Amino acid sequence: MHNIDLKTVLKRKVSEGYDDLVTRHTGRAVRSGVEELLAELDRDQVTVMDFSAVGCLDISCADEIVGKLLLDHGRARLMLLRGLTPAHCDAIVTVLERHSIAVVAQDGDGGFELLGPIEPTVRDVFTAIWQHRWTALPDIAARTAVPAHLVQRALAELIDRQLVRQEAGHYLAPVAR
Amino acid sequence: MTRVVEVPTSFDDRTFDQFAKSNAEPGGGRPLYDAHGVHWASPYGLVGLLAAGQAIMEQTGKQALLTVPEDRDVLHYWARAGFFEFAPEWFEIHGKVPRIGPSHSSEVLLEITPVRGSADVHGVVRTIQRRAAAILSGELGLDASATMGFGMALSEACQNIVEHAGTSGWVAVQSYTWRRRLGRRVVVIAVADAGIGFRRSLESTQSGRFGDRWSDATALEAALFQGVSRIPDPGRGQGLGGICRYLNRWDGKISVRSGTARLAIVPSWDDDEPLVDGLPPFPGSQILMIVPAHMAK
Repeated sequence: MHNIDLKTVLKRKVSEGYDDLVTRHTGRAVRSGVEELLAELDRDQVTVMDFSAVGCLDISCADEIVGKLLLDHGRARLMLLRGLTPAHCDAIVTVLERHSIAVVAQDGDGGFELLGPIEPTVRDVFTAIWQHRWTALPDIAARTAVPAHLVQRALAELIDRQLVRQEAGHYLAPVAR
Repeated sequence: MTRVVEVPTSFDDRTFDQFAKSNAEPGGGRPLYDAHGVHWASPYGLVGLLAAGQAIMEQTGKQALLTVPEDRDVLHYWARAGFFEFAPEWFEIHGKVPRIGPSHSSEVLLEITPVRGSADVHGVVRTIQRRAAAILSGELGLDASATMGFGMALSEACQNIVEHAGTSGWVAVQSYTWRRRLGRRVVVIAVADAGIGFRRSLESTQSGRFGDRWSDATALEAALFQGVSRIPDPGRGQGLGGICRYLNRWDGKISVRSGTARLAIVPSWDDDEPLVDGLPPFPGSQILMIVPAHMAK
């Protein structure tokens, strides 16, 4: 797992004195800094974008960083957001809805949440996976009370969108192991 | 020869159209902005006045004239709010200006601040978070996420200038107790520029869609309600919508005036019109945001 501290990238790429991810100009610079790091990282590892030290996040900057990174790299890499405040989430969810994309966020207690427009069934399947960490299709169907064929469809979507991983017939949340 | 532009004695968002009407009246000569009789001005009035002066300078290359308020308290407030830091660039000032600089207080949360680029927006957000967090959570009863959201709304409004106005502008933030109008404390954000306005900004990409209906009013509707932008990037045009959602959540108000139209999201406590068209023209764009104290408090 690779951790990218966005405040460190902000200070390196824009200004030592900044704490906030605001403006498109700043967002473009930070995205370019993240892409430089991604180029050196293993694609098979989960990439964590860490917002813990970030103050304010506006929608424009969220679009430049989260929106464009997910659009450009989200199908090839499993990305996870961490350290989000409710205000960060508001800005990010606005961006995700605009682009019809989703991302996994990890809360302070280690739980996972899907951000973005996702069908309720897919969200339920995701929740069942992260709650049980390592689970197979029949177990998910039993736990969610969702018919197996719908679970299968939800799993295909979650894997295609790099929101869960599949290993040896089992499914797991991004950094469950 | 001069042309007198009357500054309303009580100069705020409710009297701004009266000011715009006087500003737009035909007649040659150098404009004289007569603020001599002003006994009260809001940040919205002050940043609008600066925008008027800037527009004259950018159109004619000459400063407009400005007579300052006679009332000492009003004059001192204008100075504390930072008006005289920037006014001499756009106005030839007549009258004695107090030798006091801008200063923040429990009311002036952000003195008039120029918005020219990304660094200014960072400065505004940093300053307002430092100064306003206690007021937003303490006096207005908003939670921490509302304070951060306030920074987001402020940033997006300022970026509207940086990204689309084609010139610089100003922002100011103030806290008031609106006894008569609302009976609650409010925080007011005023943002103004003398730039190209929404209609010209969106014309190349949106006017064809509206045909004969294309106007300042439809341009505002497209920007606020449909999230469109002049820049062909699907991620663009989300900022104003984000501001609207934030203010809606906190029972706030946003009003955007551009050219001859004004569009507002009007909460239940206000009696403004949602859309007013055919107003006296005024250069650029003016945004007013009001966050009231939470009812539970």
